[in-house]
Parts: sequence; structure tokens; C-alpha cells
Amino acid sequence: MSQLVTGAGAVASVGEGVDEVFRALCAGTSGLGELRGFDRERYRTRHAYEIDDRPAPGTDLPGRATDWLLRAVGEAAAQAGLGEDLSEVPVLVGTGLRELRSAELAWRDGTPFDIARLHFGTALRRRFGAVRTHTFSGACSASLYALALAADLLTTGAEDTVVVAGVDTLTESMYGLLDRVNSEPPDRVRPFDRDRRGVLMGDGAAAVVLRREEPGAEPRALGRVRAVSMNCDANHVTAPDPRGIARAVHEAQWRAGVKPGDIDLVLLHGTGTQLNDAAEAAAIAEVFGREVSGPLMTAIKCMTGHTSGGSGLLSLIVALESLASGRVPPTLGLAEPLPGAEAFRFVREEAREDGDLRVAQIDAFGFGGVNAVAIVERADR
Amino acid sequence: MTQGPGEVVVTGVGLAVPGASTPGALLRRTACQVTGPAPEPFDTGARIGRRGHRYKDRATRLALCAALDALRNAELVPSDGEEVTVPGDTVGVVASSNLGNLDTACLTAAAIAERSAMDLSPMSLPNASSNVIASWVAIRHGLRGPNLMLCNGATSGLDAVHWAAVLVAAGRVRRAVVIGVETHNAVVADLLGRSAGELLDGAAALVVEGARWAAARGARAVAALGPYERGAGLGGCVAALLPDGAAPGVWFTPERYAGGPAGAVPVPGGVPVPGGVPRYDVSVAVGRASGALGVLQCVAAVGWLARAGAGAGTGAGVDPEAGAGSTAFEAGAGAGAAPDPVPASRQALLTSGDDTEDAVAGLLLRPTPDRCDPYPARAPLISMECSR
Repeated sequence: MSQLVTGAGAVASVGEGVDEVFRALCAGTSGLGELRGFDRERYRTRHAYEIDDRPAPGTDLPGRATDWLLRAVGEAAAQAGLGEDLSEVPVLVGTGLRELRSAELAWRDGTPFDIARLHFGTALRRRFGAVRTHTFSGACSASLYALALAADLLTTGAEDTVVVAGVDTLTESMYGLLDRVNSEPPDRVRPFDRDRRGVLMGDGAAAVVLRREEPGAEPRALGRVRAVSMNCDANHVTAPDPRGIARAVHEAQWRAGVKPGDIDLVLLHGTGTQLNDAAEAAAIAEVFGREVSGPLMTAIKCMTGHTSGGSGLLSLIVALESLASGRVPPTLGLAEPLPGAEAFRFVREEAREDGDLRVAQIDAFGFGGVNAVAIVERADR
Repeated sequence: MTQGPGEVVVTGVGLAVPGASTPGALLRRTACQVTGPAPEPFDTGARIGRRGHRYKDRATRLALCAALDALRNAELVPSDGEEVTVPGDTVGVVASSNLGNLDTACLTAAAIAERSAMDLSPMSLPNASSNVIASWVAIRHGLRGPNLMLCNGATSGLDAVHWAAVLVAAGRVRRAVVIGVETHNAVVADLLGRSAGELLDGAAALVVEGARWAAARGARAVAALGPYERGAGLGGCVAALLPDGAAPGVWFTPERYAGGPAGAVPVPGGVPVPGGVPRYDVSVAVGRASGALGVLQCVAAVGWLARAGAGAGTGAGVDPEAGAGSTAFEAGAGAGAAPDPVPASRQALLTSGDDTEDAVAGLLLRPTPDRCDPYPARAPLISMECSR
């Protein structure tokens, strides 16, 4: 059974609102900038994809992630006709780092912060009256995991409408530890490039409204979610396992009732790290086999940075926009694909117009080996 | 309200808390406050060994201990091993913790401010991500099903049990291990504004399983999951779970619930749980438990169900230690519109979060159906489960 996406919202370094974000990505606009919120002298890495909403460089505020989440949910709910009252609607939020940035500021600098706002239920209740709220800390696949759980609630008949969201901001702890483990600090995210140097974090939030599709009814919809898989490598706490990723991709296609040859577009997870991109390439090559040169492929983290828990849902919204418009944003900075991905049909340098895109796959993988893959299709079929 | 998937049962429980190693012991500690010196902190090394400690924070170690206990109790891992004896992709993990990795985040941020990122230990990297607890449980036992980490405030533990049931009911997995864990340290104590001694340093775990899958492998169920609710306010939440003021056999209250002692007249506009129902606050026994509370409540409720079951046929569900029984309210339970095979008086009501929180979660735990098994074991499934 399929579900309709009846509303979407997005906030990212490249823009505010789904239309602006999608236009920016298709124009090849990057949100890359010099590190704004942290003391640059403390890191070798000096760049990130931040939302520029702090009062002054080098200063930081608590609660920024919460603000973006509320804006993204508000946009999605409005578009779906739900308005501002979500008292009867479950809201599932996938995040990697919650409001841990606010906790860092509170503990280290004494910045006032209510610990009850570490999860997002408190703010969602205040703004939308929402009480059936759930904050999942699922690393970088969290929002697609939340989408899978929402799909299950609709499939089992427990609900007919669910809001799904994802959000993250840079924490100093995660940014610093990534800086520590990178052999050479990256100056931008170059997904699937032979010379990629690693990941840079990005700010952002994304949200969708998911509704059960009723036979006969034809509500206006942005697209249809066919299936979402979720699993765990159970192998390594940070390194990805191509076998687990391949299982997730295969299961998503199986649940959706599609074959690799049916996929027209793949939004890759594509973090630009050595290990992640190699593992994803191996898994995609294995599952797609001879069809691997069929679908267009792209990875938006080259322009948004790694928006962590929100990244899967942001990619999904971009995929739906691409299916609807026929325009696919490019993978910037991809000069020469890594070994094993030479046959992939990457969209490079500039957006590609391709009128007849029907089915898309969206990948999201995270620390702890948590993998989720979604299959979506254009609404008008 | 989400109707409980009647076919989801509890087949294993585990604890890693000071001073209580079984559901019965946890219930006793909750019912009768122990005086004297505080018990020693839980020794994680004694259960998971030094190898199990490597690079893991305290919350993760505690979670591993409780998970191992529950998986062994459910007979999903052998007494001398760690890998599950069923296919790993039939088992999910749902962990709950609000405070687990706060210390890594805050201490790392402070270390960067004092020196630089280059002085950090790269071994802290996994702990910077809040889902590290659920990941390590999966890695240690080879659990390849969905792997969830709930950080959902005061209700997080009961929410985690709910999501495990959703995973089972939706057919994502046949069973899932649910872990609730919190620990205390200087960072947590400072951010909460409480002394470390008031706070839990421990973990609890459950195995929830589809009844048919439990039956297929011959596993014994110790409780069945009833309906779950997350809503605004304690009163509304309880009313949704127990319509018409039906009295549960026992009430596991929110942490430090101030609604009055057992036997008191309910406060006006207060909670619709009759005053005669025994009330237990698990956090009194183990410390303020935050995201672990709901799972601890489930384990204690399993202890209550076992004791009530032992006395079944007489005062079903009445707790002998707590004095006032609940039989007087059974008429109210029977008057409910929905025919429920298990009278309210034999069910345990669990609630987390109070009216000062963003929401309150509630769950009913019930005795399992009588021994006559409605799910006959099917041979092909058994062989499939064992084909690993």
C-alpha cells in the first residue's frame, strides 16, 4: 500500500522553503562557507554548510535546530491543509544530535537552556499543540527511519496522517571529533569523487506530511511513498558495511515491488568520505547489477553539507521535486568517480532536464550501521 | 489511543541496577523503601567482561548488561554465548536514554575550548552520536533488524516499548529488545540541577515478541502488551487507557508523582485512578530514571503480574503488600463498552511524565492468556528460526 506526500517543508544553508531550496540546488548554489559559529582557531577544518542566522560571527545561540524544525513542519503542515493544529497528528522527528549543541552551550558557557528542550516534543506542543511526538536519535538515517515508522502506522491502520521530520545542527563535539579523525581537512564535500577528503556538516531541517491513499480520492499530492526499508549492519560502530547497505537497498525495492531497472533516479547518501562512498558504491553496484547505468544519480550533500538526521528526508523532498519537474540537481565537485562507480550515470556540473522520471530511490546511512532506503514515485501515475 | 497489538508479548526481562536483579526484587525495593547504606553501583564488568567495556561509555555498558540479561532470560542467546540463536534480521533494537551521551558532547566541547580538536581522543567519536547505545547492543548480539534510539523526554521508556510493539505488529521483526538506560555524572547532574545521588545509574531491558513467534520457538511469555497512549496530561492519558474509571490492579506512577499517597482521596480534577489502587514509584527505589523509567516500570510490572498470577483465582491482581485491594472497582471495569478479556483489576497501569512535561505516556501490561495456546507452533517456522 502506498502513501501520499501531501506537504513538504525544508530549511537549509541554501535557502528557506522547498521551492527556494530546490531552485538553489538546481542552480548549483552551494551553502559552503567558512565556519561561523565556532572558534576557527581550534580546528584544522575551517568550513561547513551553516544556516547564517546567528547574531555575530563566532557567537552561538541555543535552540536553532528547534527553530528550523518548527519552520519546516509549519511549511509542510500548511501545504497539506493541516494548519497549525497538530494535536491529533503524530509527529515523528529523526535527528542525529537533538539539541546537544544547546546542551554544550549550557554546560560549558552557562547559556540558559531548558533541558526539557533536548528533545523536540516540548517545542512542538507549544507551537502546534502536538502531543503524540517522538524524537528518534538515529544518526544520519534518522529521518528516513522516521518515515518508515510513519509508513508502518499508516499501513497497519493505526493512523491516516503522520508528520515526519528531520533536523540537525552542527555540534562542536561532532565537528571536532570528525576534524580529529580526518587525515586531511576537507574544504568541501565531494561525493563519489576519487579525491574526496571527507565530510563537512550542514545545518537543516525537512518535513513531510504523509497520508494514507484512499481509493477513489484524488487529493493534490507531491508524490507517493512506495516503501521504506530499515535495518542495521550490526558490524561496526562507525564504519559502514556494504552488505548491510545492499540488504537495505534490495529490501526497499522488494517492498516497493520494483526492480533496479524500474528506478529512474537515485539520490545517493554520498557523504564524501572515503569509506561511506566506497561502501555505497559497492552496494549499489551489487544490487543494480547490469542496470547500474540506467538511473540518473546525484548527491546533494555537495551543496547542503551533511545535514545528518535530516539529510534523508531532504533528499527525499528533492527527489519528489525532481520527479515532478524533470530537473535533477548536479553533484558538484565530482571530477572523476571513485573506482567502482565509473559506470554510474551521475548528474554533474549542472542540473539535467529529463522529462520522464517516474520512480526514485533515496539512500540514508548512519553511524551504528543504521540504514534506510526509500522508494518514491511521481504522483500522477 | 493506539490499541495494543494483542499478539505482542514480553518473553524476557533484564536488569542492571544496584540492589535488584529480578523483577520481583525490583518490585519489593519499590514497595518497601530500603533504609541503610546505598547499594554498590552495578558492576558491569562482572556481567560483560573487560572486552565488553572497550571504548564504551557508562550508559552503553549498562545497556549491554541489561540487554544480555533480557536476551538470556528470553532464551535468545545461550548461557555461554552472545550471538542470538535466531536469524539476526528477525530481531530489532529499541533503546531509550535522554542523558546517555550528554557527558561526551559537553566534555568534548569544553576540551576543544581549552585546547583544540587535535587533542581529542578519536575513540570518543561514536559516543558523540546519541544512538551509540542501540548500535552497540546490535553489534554485540548480531541484531540486524531496525535499530531505534528514542530520546523523547520523560515518556521515552514507554514510548520505546510502544515502538518495539509497532515494529513487531508491522511485521518488520519478530521480536525486539527494548532497553532503557540512564547514568549520572557531573555533566548530567549540573544540567538537571540535581545531585548525582538522586539519579539512576542503571538499565532495564525487555524482549517483546510476536506471540506466534514466541510460541513457535517454545518461549514462555510473562506479560502481554495492552494499549498505549501518549497524550496531554495524566488524567486524559489514564482515562483513554481505562475508560469509565476502571481500576487497574496496580499503578506505576510517574516519577515522584505528587498526587497523594495510596489510599488518599484523589485530588479534585486529578487522576482518575481510584485511591484504593496500589501505587508504586519505581524511581524511589532506583533514583530518578528519566528515559529509563518506562522500561523499569515494565520490569517491575512483570514482577507484579507474576505475583498476582501466583495468587490467581482468589484475589486476582490484588497486591497483598499494598493493603487496599481493587476488587471493589471491578464492576466499573466490567461496565466498559469494549469487551476486554482481561479485567482491569488484573492489569498493571504504567504512566511516565506528568502535567509539567510535554506529554504523558501510559501503557497497560496484562497477564498472558492462559496456558492453552491460541498459536499452535508451526513446524516450518521452527526450522526456519533454527536454520542459522
